[in-house]
This record gives sequence, structure tokens and C-alpha cells, in this order.
Amino acid sequence: MTWEIGLPLPFGATSPDNPTDAQLVESCKRGDLRAFEHLYNLHSSKMKSLAYHLLSSRSDAEDAVQETFLKVYKAIGAFHENSALSTWIYRILINCCYDVLRKRQRLAEKPMPPQLPADSKLPLKVALERAILALNDRQRLVFLMFEVEGLKHSEIAGVLEVPEGTSRAWLFEAKLALKKMLTETAK
Amino acid sequence: MIFECHDLDRALADPALLAELQRHIRGCETCRNQYRIWTEISNTAKQLHQEWDSPNLWPHLLAAVRPERPASKRWYVEWKLWAATAAAAAMLAFALAYIPHSPAARSNDQYFLTEQTLKEVEKNEAAYRRSIDELARLAQPKLETTAASPLLQSYREKLLMLDSAILETRSNLDQNQFNAHLQSDLADLYREKRLTLKEILTHAQSN
Repeated sequence: MTWEIGLPLPFGATSPDNPTDAQLVESCKRGDLRAFEHLYNLHSSKMKSLAYHLLSSRSDAEDAVQETFLKVYKAIGAFHENSALSTWIYRILINCCYDVLRKRQRLAEKPMPPQLPADSKLPLKVALERAILALNDRQRLVFLMFEVEGLKHSEIAGVLEVPEGTSRAWLFEAKLALKKMLTETAK
Repeated sequence: MIFECHDLDRALADPALLAELQRHIRGCETCRNQYRIWTEISNTAKQLHQEWDSPNLWPHLLAAVRPERPASKRWYVEWKLWAATAAAAAMLAFALAYIPHSPAARSNDQYFLTEQTLKEVEKNEAAYRRSIDELARLAQPKLETTAASPLLQSYREKLLMLDSAILETRSNLDQNQFNAHLQSDLADLYREKRLTLKEILTHAQSN
């Protein structure tokens, strides 16, 4: 399949409208930008949201997503399908976000301090958003991926390279910690 | 089992204890409150998903990966650019050979745009660009529709590529504003963009 100016070619002329991971990988490896765009459309929304929660900045989140897709494009030739494509992409995204956080630390920017609700009158959504910042890294990641972005434990386990049971345990820890913070401030 | 308040966390992790927990919270306000928060955490978390438009993200990505594509995929684009450049060069050569030479035209300046001409070109280009932007604004909703046909998807990619080529040519022009070849290339690209937008609007009207 070629990608040429002025020639309307449907995505995946030989593939269905919803290509499988394997088909997407194959097309991307051939340099098919339509497949790459499909990949972007499939994942970029959740990726931006996850990056936003990790970096607390929309523009940094967009930069991280852009960097992730560039890395995906460059490295897709070496991608082996012993893990899911989405799992691989999210792992790259999280590494990109941590790179940004490390750069911020190197530039002596103070990390954003966890802000707990000042009073119990805050709407739960705001209070929860602030409490998430006080979680440790692994709890925050699992909570954001499972509860906010709707990834499955099997996917999260793949991204973080831990057993599925560990992902469940970390989520439980995260929710316990959040419940504790939210009930204490509600008192 | 006699369920007490300190059993709450264990019950939250173990669905088998859910019935005991439900019985307990009927008479215990503290645990009821904690259980309510536990269930609301998951419900509220879904509202934390952030959604916003990033219209420049994909074009930037496309521009960043485009030069890395294998040469065979770009032959048609390059052919068009070369053809446009060759046509502009041929026209310039023809003009130089057949237009009667005035004393001013005999100077080296004849190969380049003069300050005055450049101002005219820039003024016209700005007006032309504004009209194309307006056309693009009209075509945008058709392109963004989720049920875009393969033809529209193809047009969208063509536009992205043209925008990228326009950016590149403009960037080259910034370094050599008096280069008539580049100005001609840029005009060709704008013309192509205008025709594409027109085709999109015609296509949308016919459906």
C-alpha cells in the first residue's frame, strides 16, 4: 500500500476498518502513515490524560505524547509481539513522563507538593484530584490507569511488568490511602 | 463472624465479606461514611479523565516523521515539487531570453525579485493566504467528521502534507526572500491547497 498525494486510498486497503495489533504493526513497519495515524487516534486521548495527571501540565503532556509516538515510529521495526502494542506504547509514555519529571528536578524546579484539601467543603472530584498527588508513584500510576483511564489489570500488569495480582494489590493500597485522606479531611 | 469496625478494610478487599459489611454499616455511621467514600472514589475517578483538543499535535508528529520515510514513498511528492520547480525555471529562462532588456534588467538583479516586487508579492500572498485560510475553515468540519470517507481521509492527509511543504518552503524563503523560484513553488503549493479545499467542499456538497 502506498501513500501518495492526490490518490485517495482507504486505510488498510487489504485490511478491515478495525485492524488488529499485528496488522497495525506490519503497516507501521512498512512506513504506512495511515496506520500510524490510526494508532495515534486509538490511543492519544487516554495517553494525554494519563500524562497530564503525571505532569500536571497540558503542554508537557502533549510533548510527552508527541515524544512517545516519535519513539514508537522509530522503534516499531524492533517491536516483537510478545507484548501487546498498547502495553508497549504506554510503557514508553510513562518513561517519557518520568524523563520530563527528572529534567524538572535537574532544573531545580520544585516538584509540585501534594496539596491536600484545606477544608471538607471541597467537591469530592477536587479533593480526590489533590489526594492522588499524595499517593506514591506506583499507587498513583495504577489508580490513574485503572480507575481514570479504564485500562484492565492485565494491561497495567504488562505496562509495569508486574504480575496481575500485584496490580490489583497496588490499586487496593491506593484506594485505601485515598479513603483515609478523604475521610480524615471530611471529619 | 462478628463484624467490627476494624474489619472494614479487610471486607473491602474480600467480596465474600460484603454481606457482613452491608449488615454492619446499617448500624455504624463511621463505617457507612467510609464505605460511601470507597465506592465514590471509583465513580468520581472516571470524571478525572481529561479531554482536550490538540489540533497541532498530529501535524507536528507527521512533519517530524515524514523525512524519515523511505524514499520510495515520497517519489510522487518529490516529483511534483521538482516539476513545479522545473516549470518555474523554464518560465524564468523564457522571460529572460525574450523580454526586451532594459538597462536595469541587464544587471544581476534580473535573476531576483527587487524590494518593490517583493513587497507586492508578500502583500498578494498574505491576501491569498487569508482567503485560503477562510476556505480551510469552511472545509474543517467536513474533514473532522468521525465518519469521514476514505476519500476525505485522503484529502486530509494531502492537506497535512501540503501544509508541511508550505511551512518548509516558507522557512527556506525566510533565508532567501528574493528567490523567485521559491516564491513560485510557494504559489504552486497554495494553488494546490486551494484546489484541494475546493474539491473537499464540492465533494461534501454532492453527498
